[in-house]
Amino acid sequence: MAKPIQPILLGIALSCLVVATTVHAKQQLVLAIGGEPEQGFDPLLGWGQYGNPLFQSTLLSRSKDLAPQPELATEWSLSEDRLTWTLTLREDARFADGSPLTAEDVAYTFNTAAQAGGRADLSALDVATALDKHTVSLRLKAPRITFIDQLLTLGIVPHAERDNGYREQYGRHPLGSGPYQLVEWQEGEQLIVERNPYFYGPTPAFERLVFLFTGEDATLSAAHAGQVDIASVPSALAANVPAHMQRVIMESVDNRGILFPMQPVNGEHTASGAPIGNDVTADIAVRQAINLAVDRDTLVEVALHGYGRPAFGPADGLPWSASDERLVAPDPEQAAEILDAAGWQLGDDGLRYKEGLPASFRLTYPSGDTTRQLLAEVSAEMVRPLGIEIQPTGRHWDEIQREALHQDAIMFGFGSHSPQEVYYLFHSQHAGNGFYNSGFYANPAVDAHLDAAQAASSFEQANREWQAAQWDGTSGYGVRGDSSWAWLVNLEHVYFTNTCLDVGDLGVAPHGHGWPITANLLEWRWTCD
Amino acid sequence: MRLIAPIAKRVARLALVLTCVALVSYGLMMASPIDPVDAYLGPQMAKVGPEQRALIAQRWGFDEPPAVQFGHWLRQLVGGDLGWSHVYNQPVSEVIAQRFQRSIALLGSAWMLSTLVGFSLGVLAGAKEGSKLDNIISTYAFITASTPAFWLAILAVLLFSVTLGWTPTCCAGPAGALNQEVSVATRLHHLLLPVTTLALLGIANITLHTRTRMLELMRSDVATHAFAQGASRIDVAWRHGLRHASLPAITLAFASLGELFGGSILIEQVFAYPGLGQATVAAGLRSDVPLLLGIALFTALFVSVGNMIADSLYGVIDPRIKAGGL
Repeated sequence: MAKPIQPILLGIALSCLVVATTVHAKQQLVLAIGGEPEQGFDPLLGWGQYGNPLFQSTLLSRSKDLAPQPELATEWSLSEDRLTWTLTLREDARFADGSPLTAEDVAYTFNTAAQAGGRADLSALDVATALDKHTVSLRLKAPRITFIDQLLTLGIVPHAERDNGYREQYGRHPLGSGPYQLVEWQEGEQLIVERNPYFYGPTPAFERLVFLFTGEDATLSAAHAGQVDIASVPSALAANVPAHMQRVIMESVDNRGILFPMQPVNGEHTASGAPIGNDVTADIAVRQAINLAVDRDTLVEVALHGYGRPAFGPADGLPWSASDERLVAPDPEQAAEILDAAGWQLGDDGLRYKEGLPASFRLTYPSGDTTRQLLAEVSAEMVRPLGIEIQPTGRHWDEIQREALHQDAIMFGFGSHSPQEVYYLFHSQHAGNGFYNSGFYANPAVDAHLDAAQAASSFEQANREWQAAQWDGTSGYGVRGDSSWAWLVNLEHVYFTNTCLDVGDLGVAPHGHGWPITANLLEWRWTCD
Repeated sequence: MRLIAPIAKRVARLALVLTCVALVSYGLMMASPIDPVDAYLGPQMAKVGPEQRALIAQRWGFDEPPAVQFGHWLRQLVGGDLGWSHVYNQPVSEVIAQRFQRSIALLGSAWMLSTLVGFSLGVLAGAKEGSKLDNIISTYAFITASTPAFWLAILAVLLFSVTLGWTPTCCAGPAGALNQEVSVATRLHHLLLPVTTLALLGIANITLHTRTRMLELMRSDVATHAFAQGASRIDVAWRHGLRHASLPAITLAFASLGELFGGSILIEQVFAYPGLGQATVAAGLRSDVPLLLGIALFTALFVSVGNMIADSLYGVIDPRIKAGGL
């Protein structure tokens, strides 16, 4: 690894320090938002799946409404048989060492990532081929519209055969065509980056970024001591804003909801030995009643300190979720009517019974997650007057997988920038597959819509099918259909930012707090002199 | 010839200790309920399909039975290779080497400081038994001996870093400064608070032991004889006391290395100091078996060597305790 020329760097760094202390435009921004990838900055192992890959660029990027827009690729098309993506690359993209980025690099990145066994899931890819210097084709094993996620998130690395090409220690010495290049990474401590002079896009507002990788406590201490410009804070500690800072809220689809086991008990077990089914939650009347009885606004106040909004689906407000998917809740009268009509009779003990079966079941949450515990306990109180008994139960994830996953209701958290998650959660093919469709939900009409979405010819057409899976007028997985979940809340992620920092329009964050705020980093501005 | 047998015995015992540490740590990791693939994926659990999970398990060797994994690790170890850390995607030896460099600065300074200060306070208190100074030092020692280090660390950060702004809130260097730009003075400034809090752990212990040895000496015939010849208490403490009390202090210092090591893990968490402590926590929480075993072995070796030195010194202090005995 050739070291950059140190005196020059030192010169730049010192001049930065000098500049930063004068009243000119601010050159250095200090961020404490966590998100250190211990493996380094290697896209093939999953770096850049969230927020901003910083050092590398991706083929496409997401607009504010999460639709794909040009980035490295200026044009792209999907073949008739939905198996081959063909992309035309821009010609002015260069790596931070000045060498041009070509289709060879793109093909190498995709083929290698598919074999790497990292966090980037390219199992759908058959082969990537460079057709000429600026055209690349990606062939899939089967139609899968959500493969577009990889075009949006996989940072392009230099081909291994070239100078400064990809090698084993790439993660610690990343070379890419993104807006910034690495200056120094002090592992476990901080990351220092500076502008990439060869970046094809607009020049970023800040010459230098410093990412501090401190824990919650140290981050708060540093914010109160005035040493950081932007800090991510847990909502429980968001009340006490440091002087010279303001609270910035980022909307998210980082959601929490109750998954219901959909099958009655029939003595079956999964391969891992976990029993399947729950006679109470298998009754749609119970699921509908709970959906109607919970007061989601109160849950936001109590469990999230007010930093959140009610949730009615897995992807509220995203293009692949129906915009009219909501309930007028709480409505205990209607909930009681539904239960009465379905034959759940109120007993003397305040509990409802149907043919001797009490309306009682466990709601399991991962112990140690206080937010989920609060949500479970408060929801249980909300449905008690109806005559339904929910027993909140804290267990470790491992025990949840061995015991509870398919027979108890589970307090889950999901939320993604990709509709692939909807496919995993509601397609019968993924029933009992780990944490995905753990309630064994199976509806042939929903499966058909999900498959049609994967085989769609475009992002927009796929969105129509994703929405139809939620409710197509006769059935769906949503609250108007099978009510397979009781979605409760979407979290809001809280940050403290310097009052002089304008972070623009932040968009919507996925599950995970911190690094996603950097998605629109290039729009950030310093507003003071 | 007479030296070889006890040394061989010691080495054999050390090998046994390390084997036990490896086996127990491995057993604990296998019993740990954390699924390594889930731990590896973290929040991306819901973005990865079953084929990719299988590929990850195969790539990092999570899919083999525990005995096979352990055998594989042992074979590598015999070949002098500590294995590969999947959390850091680096050889384990590199992770330990990198992080221990940072930890040794913290540990070493705290160790020196607690030995020197503890010893001086002990000598002072012991020389003037029952005086006001003795009372103050003894009270202080009893209080700090029973104070949890991490709690003290949090208080120290709140007081000195946040409220007064005298010391940095975290890390081994200032935000945005490259390693080569950081002067020795700045490094020391960043070490000041962690080292002080960590040193407080050891001071009390050494102070109390040294004080007891000094009291013994001040009541001994040697001291009485010296007083009869007109020497002052300070003279006696200085001439005889130092030699009399220094060996137990040094011995204790070596024996307390393990305690210090444990304390440093907590302290590093509080001060966000990037040492071995942080890596240990990451390895444990994310099922990085080779890394955790590597750190466990390294720590055990470090502490055992410290104890061995302490043992040998006991023999020097008091010939009745034979080297190689229990």
